[in-house]
Amino acid sequence: MQPRRQPSPAPPPPPPPPALRPGAPLLALLLLLSLRGAAAVPEEPGQSQDAGPSRGLLQQAARAALHFFNFRAGSPSALRVLAAVQEGRAWVNPKEGCKVDLVFSTERYKAEESTFQEGEEGLGKCSARVFFKNQKPRPAINVTCTRLFEKKKQQQEDYLLYKQMKRLKAPLDGVSIPDSHGHIDPSLRPVWDLAFLGSSYVMWEKTTQSLHYYLAQLTGVKQWKTDDDEIDFDYTVLLHEFSTQEIIPCRIHLVWYPGKQLKVKYHCQELQTPEASGTEEGSAVAPTKLSNF
Amino acid sequence: MQGTPSGGNCPVLCPVDRRTLLVFSFILAAALGQMNFTGDQVLRVLAKDEKQLSLLRDLEGLKPQKKVDFWRAPARPSLPVDMRVPFSELKEIKAYLESHGLAYSIMIKDIQVLLDEERAAMAKSRRLERSTSSFSYSSYHNLEEIYSWIDSFVTENSDIVSKIQIGNSFENRSILVLKFSTGGSRRPAIWIDTGIHSREWITHATGIWTAKKIVSEYGKNHVMTDILKAMDIFIELVTNPDGFAFTHSMNRLWRKNKSTRPGIFCIGVDLNRNWKSGFGGNGSNNNPCSETYHGPSPQSEPEVSAIVNFITAHGNFKALISIHSYSQMLMYPYGQSLKPVSNQRELYNLAKDAVKALYEVHGIQYIFGSISTTLYVASGITVDWAYDSGIKYAFSFELRDTGRYGFLLPATQIIPTAQETWMAILTIMKHTLNHPY
Repeated sequence: MQPRRQPSPAPPPPPPPPALRPGAPLLALLLLLSLRGAAAVPEEPGQSQDAGPSRGLLQQAARAALHFFNFRAGSPSALRVLAAVQEGRAWVNPKEGCKVDLVFSTERYKAEESTFQEGEEGLGKCSARVFFKNQKPRPAINVTCTRLFEKKKQQQEDYLLYKQMKRLKAPLDGVSIPDSHGHIDPSLRPVWDLAFLGSSYVMWEKTTQSLHYYLAQLTGVKQWKTDDDEIDFDYTVLLHEFSTQEIIPCRIHLVWYPGKQLKVKYHCQELQTPEASGTEEGSAVAPTKLSNF
Repeated sequence: MQGTPSGGNCPVLCPVDRRTLLVFSFILAAALGQMNFTGDQVLRVLAKDEKQLSLLRDLEGLKPQKKVDFWRAPARPSLPVDMRVPFSELKEIKAYLESHGLAYSIMIKDIQVLLDEERAAMAKSRRLERSTSSFSYSSYHNLEEIYSWIDSFVTENSDIVSKIQIGNSFENRSILVLKFSTGGSRRPAIWIDTGIHSREWITHATGIWTAKKIVSEYGKNHVMTDILKAMDIFIELVTNPDGFAFTHSMNRLWRKNKSTRPGIFCIGVDLNRNWKSGFGGNGSNNNPCSETYHGPSPQSEPEVSAIVNFITAHGNFKALISIHSYSQMLMYPYGQSLKPVSNQRELYNLAKDAVKALYEVHGIQYIFGSISTTLYVASGITVDWAYDSGIKYAFSFELRDTGRYGFLLPATQIIPTAQETWMAILTIMKHTLNHPY
């Protein structure tokens, strides 16, 4: 089988982190990490370098940028996942946070059950600037990506999904997607894609320099309203948090219509502690302020 | 508001015990045909604040026949509340929850169905086919099925395979290890464990396929034959049997074991933080409610001490491979610190070769390196203990995928995953054979 993804080529050994050098100034420190451009296919496919901290930060930035991109694109048929980081640089300021510029490739999310997705649409490419405020969530993101497929086709796919969703009337109570065996019923695929879209907003907001998320499972549908034009979807998901390994239940409420900006509100449950009462995470509305939602 | 669970003088541990007791009493009662739970549901409610919590407690004050039955009582806003609602009260209770803005999800859609399934499963396990040829290697199985398969497998391959019980889990399930040996006495040995984190189902499935592969390759593949002529292999398929059973019955994403301690509300210890190497350090948590809770002391957990005792008593293990999911990584010690191990260069090169061999099967890319630099800092982990105990070739796998399905990897990926992982494992075993120490 042909490999689809280019592995990141081996970086030169990074300079020792300034923090370890005694007497390092506390002013803004410039930590410049650069990877060789990945236009060329590496000589040995499958070769990976001994991963260092720089790789981790770039991966963090790429994930955050992708969650944000997926949310802003508002298209459940055009969701993307990370393929590979191709180049990147980071600037670390111990007081403010860290800024990452990077280029990465993506592939279509298209949650198939086959072990290999055929890439008819090819790989997309994104460039992003991500700013993590010192261990605070909700990184600031600027991201642009090349199209995976042309705009008209994307709109058609979204509308197709929309129509499929309008036809779904089965009570979605007690449904788990995927089930324990990783299976998603094809008729419920649109529900999953839409759930993932809403979850992208949540995962973007929660990502920090050291925490990142994957969507583990859709565990409940509180409401699925399609009588108006829009799809009104109120559901719970489980997010898997790295590196704590925690499973975070989140209640998400979104409203979607093809081509319109997605509206999202959510509330995630905090870690149980025997002592503390646990802080509450507030729900948030989409940046395009929607007052009557 | 005090944070005591309702139920009066019930100690903090009680709601957890009570649920187990309740499930058993239901089974018993249903078996005796005395009670019917058709249509009854278990709802999980997320209360946002004390106000919502008190609304839930109000439900307890209803008339006896209308009463909801708390499996996990309202305690604090951050904790979920589980309650069994009789079928006749469902509509009213749900309306009550909705009108007060209480978010809930349905944990069990129909208790009677669950009880019937449990009973059928228990009956079925007694009738399980006693043959591995009808066992589906491309499906996920439960504990009874795996233990039954182990017995069949041993019977069918008794010339080189035997079963050893190395201990008991917290809930008193057998902890079993398969031994592959062509003879000798305490030969240099290779250890493989899967399922130390119960939600990582792909690992048990891969382990089973691997066991089958070993016996089928012996005598056919010269590398495998050479290995088994000189060394023994031990595979522990279900390293966390209690957790695994729980992923089938109640919580598919359960990670830890099921140990409980008096006065501690949360259950379970992360078995991969309970080892005696850098115990309690960064990347483990002393909060019992955390997924990386290291436990009260090193090796406090029976599932871990069983392995420690076994490997230590044996005294001749040369390689240890601990298999997890997900992230597609192959790693070596240390997890507890960034300090490189003394044979880091050798392990780096071996990992590189193993990952290349894996890639050549289906084109799946793994990254590799030490645990702390590749994944994250983690203390009290299996491979750190193994390395510190003198096992030079200690590796940890994170199998497929990289987050698309995560723990819920579709069963269609079991065999491809096992096939590629096999090539990496073989690479490590071959190197161990060729570098005796």
